[in-house]
Amino acid sequence: MIKTILEHLQVIFEKTVYIYGVVLLIIYACLALMSYYNVRRFLKKESYTDYKVIVGSELAPGISVIAPAFNEGLTIISNVRSLLTFDYPKYEVIIINDGSTDDTLEKVVKEFSLVKVDFAYDIKIQSKPIRGIYKSTDDAYAKLVVVDKENGKSKADATNAGMNVSSFPYFLCTDVDCILHEQTLQKLIRPIMEEENHRVIATGATLRMANSCEIDKGVIIRIKAPRPLLARFQELEYIRSFVLGKMGWSYINCVPNVSGGLGLFDKEIAIKAGGYDPASFGEDMELMMRMNRYVHDNKIKAAIRYIPVTLCWTEGPTSLKVFMRQRTRWGRGLFQLMVTHRKMLLNPRYGRTGMIMFPYNFLFELLAPFIESIGLIYYILLAIFGLVNWPYAVILLIFVYSYAIMISTLAVLWDQMTVQYYKTWTDVARIASMVFIEMIIYHPLIVIFALRGYFFHIAGRKHSWGNMQRTGFKSASASANTAAT
Amino acid sequence: MWKDLADLLFQAYEQYSLLPLFIEIALAFIFIAILSTLIAYSAILFKRYRAYVYEKRLAFISPKIEDMITEQVLLNPNLGQDIPLENIEFDPAALNDKIYRKPFVRQMLIDTLIQYRKNFRGEVGELLRKMYLDMGLDKDSFAKMKTLRWERKIKAVVELTQMDIPISDVTILPLTNSGNSALRAAARNAYIQLSKNEPFKFFDIATEPLLPWDQLEMFKIITTTKDIAIPNFSRWVSYSPNKSIVSFCLQLIAHYDQQSAIPAVMDLLANKDHYFRANAINCLGKLSAEVAEDKLVKIYNNQPLNCQIEILKALGRIASGKHLEFLKSEFLYSSNFDIRMNASRSIIKHNTQNSRLMVEELMEMTHDENQLIIKHCLNPLIKY
Repeated sequence: MIKTILEHLQVIFEKTVYIYGVVLLIIYACLALMSYYNVRRFLKKESYTDYKVIVGSELAPGISVIAPAFNEGLTIISNVRSLLTFDYPKYEVIIINDGSTDDTLEKVVKEFSLVKVDFAYDIKIQSKPIRGIYKSTDDAYAKLVVVDKENGKSKADATNAGMNVSSFPYFLCTDVDCILHEQTLQKLIRPIMEEENHRVIATGATLRMANSCEIDKGVIIRIKAPRPLLARFQELEYIRSFVLGKMGWSYINCVPNVSGGLGLFDKEIAIKAGGYDPASFGEDMELMMRMNRYVHDNKIKAAIRYIPVTLCWTEGPTSLKVFMRQRTRWGRGLFQLMVTHRKMLLNPRYGRTGMIMFPYNFLFELLAPFIESIGLIYYILLAIFGLVNWPYAVILLIFVYSYAIMISTLAVLWDQMTVQYYKTWTDVARIASMVFIEMIIYHPLIVIFALRGYFFHIAGRKHSWGNMQRTGFKSASASANTAAT
Repeated sequence: MWKDLADLLFQAYEQYSLLPLFIEIALAFIFIAILSTLIAYSAILFKRYRAYVYEKRLAFISPKIEDMITEQVLLNPNLGQDIPLENIEFDPAALNDKIYRKPFVRQMLIDTLIQYRKNFRGEVGELLRKMYLDMGLDKDSFAKMKTLRWERKIKAVVELTQMDIPISDVTILPLTNSGNSALRAAARNAYIQLSKNEPFKFFDIATEPLLPWDQLEMFKIITTTKDIAIPNFSRWVSYSPNKSIVSFCLQLIAHYDQQSAIPAVMDLLANKDHYFRANAINCLGKLSAEVAEDKLVKIYNNQPLNCQIEILKALGRIASGKHLEFLKSEFLYSSNFDIRMNASRSIIKHNTQNSRLMVEELMEMTHDENQLIIKHCLNPLIKY
C-alpha cells in the first residue's frame, strides 16, 4: 500500500517537474519571438529617426540624472565629467555623496568649483538628513548639483534624497561609476514621448560589462567582450536578460523590472508610489512593483518600455566572492519582494502585472532554484538506487542543454541585429562560446547564490553591503602609452 | 538511394512513435533547438559578413559618388554665371555610368544628395535637385511610396521632401491620418514642407493624435523652414476637436507671440481637462497676457495643483504688479511647498521696486523654510 502511494507520488512529482520545464521552455520561445518583433520594430523606427531634433528643442522635457556615490574618491572626477556630457537640451546631474568616508566630496568641490548654497527642497520621500547642497560657480558646470548627506546604508536612501532635490518631471537613476552613452537621455525619453495610449512610467535599456572596454576620461573608446570568464558570463546573461527577456516582456507590457544601473522614471508616479525602499534588497524591482501597484490602484493606463540598445556599461564583479555577495543580495531581494507583494499574485485587479508578470516571477524566477535543486537531489538518489533509465535521462539532459544553447544564441543574434558593438569576430566568438559552458559552470553558481539569499532572508541574517571592489577600467590612453613603450 | 532513405526515415519514425510521449516531446525540442541554433549562428555570420561587405562597398563607391557630385555640381563652371538652372547640363557620360544603375548605388546616391542638400542651399541646392531628377532618382523614391512596407514609405516621403519634389494631396493627405504613428508623422512633416498654399491643411482633418515626439520635429520644421506661411493658430485652438493639435498650437502661439490668439486661449480655461487648462495657462503666461490676469486669479482656488502652479508662473511672466499681494498671500499661507516656491519665484521675477521691497519684507516676517525658499530663488547659481 505505502509502496503504491510512493510510486504515485513519484509519478506526480516527475510529471509536475517535466510540465514545469516544458512550460518554461515554451515561455522562453514566446519571449524570443516577441523580442524579435520588438527589436525589428525598434530598428525600423531607428532607421529614419533624427535625434538631432530633440537636442535643440525647447519642447524636450527636463530630466534629472541621479547618481549616488559612496567612497568613489578614486574615480569620481571622471565619473562626474562623463555624466555631464549628455547630448540633451534640458537636464541636471545630481550627485549624492552618501556620507563617504574618503575624499569624494572634497575632490568634487575642488574640481568643479562648488560652493554650498541655500537650497530649498521638499521632503516628499524620507531619507537620511542632507548636510548640504553644492552648486558650481563655474557656468560650465551649471547643470551639476552635489548633495552631501548622511550615510543611509543603501542606494535607495541616496536616490530618494536625489528625487527630493530634483527639479524635473523625469529622473534617470544610475550608479556614479556606470558609463553612460551620450545619447542616453534622448533615447530613453523617446518611448515616453511617442506612446499613444499609455502613460510610460519607466524606460530602460541594455546594460553591458565595461570590464575590458577601452575607456578614456569616463567615455568608452572601444567596446570589447570581457576577458575575465566571470564577467563574460555576466555579459551573456545581460544580453539574454535585456535584449531577449525584457524586450519580449516589453512587447506585451509586462516588464518586471527596470535595472537600477540605468532607468528613466516618471517622478510623479515614483513619488506617489513611495520612492525607493531602503529596507529592500532589490530596491529597483521593488519600486517598479509599487509603481505598477499604484497605477493599477488609481486606474492609470501605464506602460514600462525597453529599448534594445546598450546605453550603460558597468564593471561586473570578477571575483567569486564579490559576485556571490551580489547574487545573494539579488536572491534575497526577489524573495523579499514576492513576500511583500504576495497579494498581487493572480489578482486580476493588477491586470497583466498580477496575472502574468507576478506569477511568472514567482514560478520561474523564485521557485526555479528550489525546483532545480530538488530535481538534482532526486536525480542523484535515483542514480544511487539504480532507478535511472539512462538513455531517457541522457535524452532529457540533451533536451534542456540544447534548448538553453538555442535561447542564448538567439539572444546573441538579436543583439547583433541591433548594433554590432564588437568590432572583431573574436569578440563575438568569445561571447558566443559562453553559451556552451554557461549551463555547466555559471548557472549552478547562480542557483546556489540565489538559494543562499533565500536562506539568509528566511533566517533573518543581517546583511552587510560590503564593498564592490572595482578593479578599474582599462584606459585608452594608458594602453596607448603601454604600446608606445 | 531515395528508397533507402525513405525506408530509413520511416523506420526512424516507427521507432520514434514507440517512445513515451515525454521523450517524443523532448526529441522534437532537441531537433528544433539544434536547427534553430545552427540557423542563428549562420545568421550571425551572415549579418557580420554582410556588414563587412557593405562597409567595403561603401568605401569603394562613396568617393566615386562624392567626386561625381563635386565635379558636376559644386565645381560646375556654369554656377554663378546667371545661366537659368534648366539650361545647365551635366556631363551625360558621368551621370550614365553603369555603376549608377545598381539599386544599392542609386540608394547611396540619393542619401548622399540629401546630405549635400542639407548643407547647400541656393543655386547649388537647386542643382543637386536637378541631378536627382535628371538621374531619375525621383522614380526610385516614388516606387518606394507604392510599397506596402511602412518604413519604405517613410523613406520615400523623407527623400521627396528633402528634394522638394511635390507629392499630390491625394497621395499624402491620407497618410497624415495613418494609423501607423511613424508614417503619419513623416507624412505630416512632408505636407508642411511641400504644400505651398496651405501647409497646415491637415490640421483640419487630423483625427489621429500628434504625439509629443512628433511635435518636436514638426515644431522644428515650422520654426526653421523658410517661406512658410504662418497662420493664426487660434483657428485650431477654437475649432479643432483634436486635443494634441490644440496643445501643439498653444506652443506655436506662444513661440510666435500671436497676441490675437489670447481670447481663443482664454476660452480654454473653461475646458474640463485640467492638463489642457494647464497648457492654456502656460501659453497665456508666455504671451504676457495681462488681460487674462484677473481671470486667472479668479479661477485659482477652483483649480488642481498643476493648474495653480501654472497660474503662479503665468503671473510671474506677465509681471504687471497687480497681483503681487495675491502672490504674497499664497507664499505666506499655502501649506504646499511647490506653491510657495512658485509664488516666491514669481514675486522675484517682477523685478520692480515694489517686488524687491516685498521680498525684503517677506524675509523679515516669514519662518525659516520660507526664507530658504526666497534665498533659493534669489541665488543665480540655481537655475531650476
